[in-house]
Amino acid sequence: MQKVEYRNERDKFFKEIENLQHPNETLVKTHCSYCGMQCGMNLRVNTKTNKIIGVEPRYDWPVTVGKMCPKGVTAYQQTNHKDRILKPLIRDDASLKGTKEGFREASWEEAYDLIAKKFTELQQEYGKDTLSVFSGVSMTNEKCYLTGKFARVAMQTRYIDYNGRFCMSSAAGGFLRSFGVDRGSTLPWTDIHETDCLFIAGSNTAECHPTSMFRVWNVQERGGYIIVVDPRETPIARRADLHLDLRPGTDLALANGIVNLLIQKGYADEEFINKHTNGFEETKELVKEFTPEYTSQITGVAPEKIIRAAEIYGKAPNAVVMFARGIEQQHKGVDNVSGYTNMALVTGKIGRPKAGVATFTGQGNGQGGREHGQKSDLLPGYRKLTNPKHVEEVCQVWGITPEEMPQPGVSAYEMFELMDQKTIRGLYLLCSNPAVSAPNLNFVRKAMKGLDFMVCADFYLSESAEFADVILPSVTWSEDEGTVTNIEGRIIKINKAQEPLGESKPDWQIQAELAERLGRGKYFSHLKTARDVADEFRLASKGGYADYYGATWDKIEKQDGVFWPCKDENDPGTPHMFLDKKFYHPDGKAKICALPYRPPAEEPNEEYPLRLTTGRVVFHYLSGNQTRRIQFLHDMCPEPYVEVHPETAAKYNIEHEERVRLFTRRGEAVYKVKITEAIRKDTVFVPYHFGHDQSINLLTIAALDPISRMPEFKACAAQIEKLELKKVQ
Amino acid sequence: MKKRLYLELENCIGCRSCLAACTQCGGHEERNRNYVYDVNPLVNRQTMPLMCLHCVNPACARSCPAQAIQIHETGAVLSALVEKCIGCQNCTIACPYGIPKFDTEQNLMYKCDLCIDRSKDGIPPMCASVCPSNTLQWLTDEEIEAKQKQFNLDNGKWVTSMPYLEGETNVRVNLPGILQGVTKLF
Ligand code: SF4
Ligand code: SF4
Ligand code: SF4
Ligand code: SF4
Repeated sequence: MQKVEYRNERDKFFKEIENLQHPNETLVKTHCSYCGMQCGMNLRVNTKTNKIIGVEPRYDWPVTVGKMCPKGVTAYQQTNHKDRILKPLIRDDASLKGTKEGFREASWEEAYDLIAKKFTELQQEYGKDTLSVFSGVSMTNEKCYLTGKFARVAMQTRYIDYNGRFCMSSAAGGFLRSFGVDRGSTLPWTDIHETDCLFIAGSNTAECHPTSMFRVWNVQERGGYIIVVDPRETPIARRADLHLDLRPGTDLALANGIVNLLIQKGYADEEFINKHTNGFEETKELVKEFTPEYTSQITGVAPEKIIRAAEIYGKAPNAVVMFARGIEQQHKGVDNVSGYTNMALVTGKIGRPKAGVATFTGQGNGQGGREHGQKSDLLPGYRKLTNPKHVEEVCQVWGITPEEMPQPGVSAYEMFELMDQKTIRGLYLLCSNPAVSAPNLNFVRKAMKGLDFMVCADFYLSESAEFADVILPSVTWSEDEGTVTNIEGRIIKINKAQEPLGESKPDWQIQAELAERLGRGKYFSHLKTARDVADEFRLASKGGYADYYGATWDKIEKQDGVFWPCKDENDPGTPHMFLDKKFYHPDGKAKICALPYRPPAEEPNEEYPLRLTTGRVVFHYLSGNQTRRIQFLHDMCPEPYVEVHPETAAKYNIEHEERVRLFTRRGEAVYKVKITEAIRKDTVFVPYHFGHDQSINLLTIAALDPISRMPEFKACAAQIEKLELKKVQ
Repeated sequence: MKKRLYLELENCIGCRSCLAACTQCGGHEERNRNYVYDVNPLVNRQTMPLMCLHCVNPACARSCPAQAIQIHETGAVLSALVEKCIGCQNCTIACPYGIPKFDTEQNLMYKCDLCIDRSKDGIPPMCASVCPSNTLQWLTDEEIEAKQKQFNLDNGKWVTSMPYLEGETNVRVNLPGILQGVTKLF
């Protein structure tokens, strides 16, 4: 039992409010299914039908105090949606792959039999590693954990990776290099509004993490500053004190330029640097070149703005450097993360309350899901497959020998390359929709189509499921329970509000049953409930640095979540990282990184003069497989568009709402033009949530970061063509 | 303790969560009764909500020939009573802000009722509960007074519309400019 009663902070925004309780209804406390904010919500459940019928704000959740974006408000509509897959589906005619056609309903027995037969045949003929698992992190830690074990112990393949490679892997790589540990935020969100300066790079916070905004605005209301780095004047940039409107893909130059100024103007904290960091002198030398003028030449940001940004950040008593996919989805994403992190390390604005570094986690469990063994080279607790001691520890929990543990595999995009080369012939896909979300889609879709056998577990027939031979109906988040680790690194509890619809089953159950069919039942048969998986998972993480052992469900309830690391029953968890100024590298010091600038992989030229960048809108989540089916969200944003500056539009002689052809060296698509002055003249933007011929990822480039293997979604060279005949509406 | 809807227009991020939330209020038949406008869509991303202000002497109710628009004891100007509304649409024209909406199928006006099943018991309306940017808030009169002090400049420049716009309203509005009076920390 925990000795001290501890509860995470409830700040000035927290108010005691009773919920409206309708007759014949119960409220189930849980969190949103979508982004890393993991807003608290109550699901309204009808006590007669036992079905989810609505949503009620959760005022008692200290991070979001009842607030939700429109995705959260309508999230409950996923569960009993008419598009749910209610029974396993089998497609016998492989020539129909890549379409919705040809599926027939089947029993679980038949589906499992077929999968076991095909997987076994493939492995007998081509070896164990001919199979692969492609997963995602919009699901609980328990499911993420078990998927890693399922791939390595039940399917016995080295090839497992996940959609975090398109989302958080650069942040992870950067933090590991700078701090020796990858917790997305060094401080709790209840600190955000109390800082004096927010430096936010590559985050459209108002649309992608909307419920951070009441805290963000409060910084300005208190007299603090907001600095935003973005090629577009997003809603947050519009009101920021300073908007650094850089060219897509030039972040590292800006970071170096600001670090240079911080050092030149005397904002460096020498004592902190000497005691707690390595690499300062080397970095100081390297950034010297990045004068405001030179930085301006590369980034396109006016020198005065760069100087002012360094001055504000340097002067601020407390400041938080924040960033998101805008800087991370580049082929130097890891360098960008370490580059901006340098600002905090050089000035010592870290390791105390109200100051630090944070990335806006994209997916609901983008943090937890990357820590527990879905990544090609990682095992639970952020252990490494290349470290024999780590392998040994996990083998003990799993009951296998180290010889049986598969070798590290390859990253998400590289798995498609191996499919194309026929090294991988079978795929088990879950919780992801790479036929929309991967870059260079013409290639990726072809690779999926060429597979000998593909299984997809999902609750809707996604664009990726269209390539499957067997579809297994999984459940929505509200039909299972488990934990998720939110944007702050706080482990929270998702609760079950309804029994699985139709014959659908949670992924952990599907995997345990399938393991049985694959002759590996003895490693999974003890896992009868989500809680069984949770208990094994906590044990497997024990002793790793992402230690969840002490984060029991009971403690999560009592404390309003538990920040990892949390080592045992008496440990309340770690809301603030590095308060003792100890970083996680062996010598306890953080690393200030000297990072030479590299331009984007594909720079504009005469043929492709525009810079194409992509991102989210507030109404949709990731590939849109869920949100495009929700009526309200569909009505608000039914189709993608291309944002173009009016001067650029004039050059091409194109008008607002006209349809144009947008193309790159890899692909093309037709989009409606949205004219706006809130974008750079040399840049166009398209949201990425749409499928089939509307996917902007048909055009994006698969230039991968050398460390994180993150593709460069955020910058490539493009061209617009006016369509000959304006399409009749 | 009486609480009011209070608006800080400058905070709006255009997320339309208030619209989604309005559809979720009991008795709203999944139709929202509020509006969000793009202020200058071809130029920038500024948006603002348009909400019923729950006028103390509401033009909609005054214009109604059938007494279909009742005023609740909390001051909330309610949606039309189904049994009384004759569908003449006087109210939709009378309201200076264009708030009442009209359902041609049911021949019935419907409008914001301040989520009366919530607000009558002091529970915040759906829109003010979810608004991620604190554009819409549900505050006590003391809290609103503190806001008013915070935003009125010493030099007497009138930067807020409080206490009310033209006529007296139950809802309090803070027009763009809330940051005008803020002194920077450094
Ligand atoms: S999508 Fe994110 S911000 Fe929106 S309600 Fe869900 S968790 Fe909150
Ligand atoms: S919910 Fe708030 S921020 Fe979003 S559109 Fe409505 S008023 Fe604006
Ligand atoms: S439409 Fe209905 S509520 Fe409006 S004025 Fe006419 S009768 Fe009254
Ligand atoms: S107060 Fe209630 S009825 Fe009025 S706009 Fe807000 S949610 Fe809709």
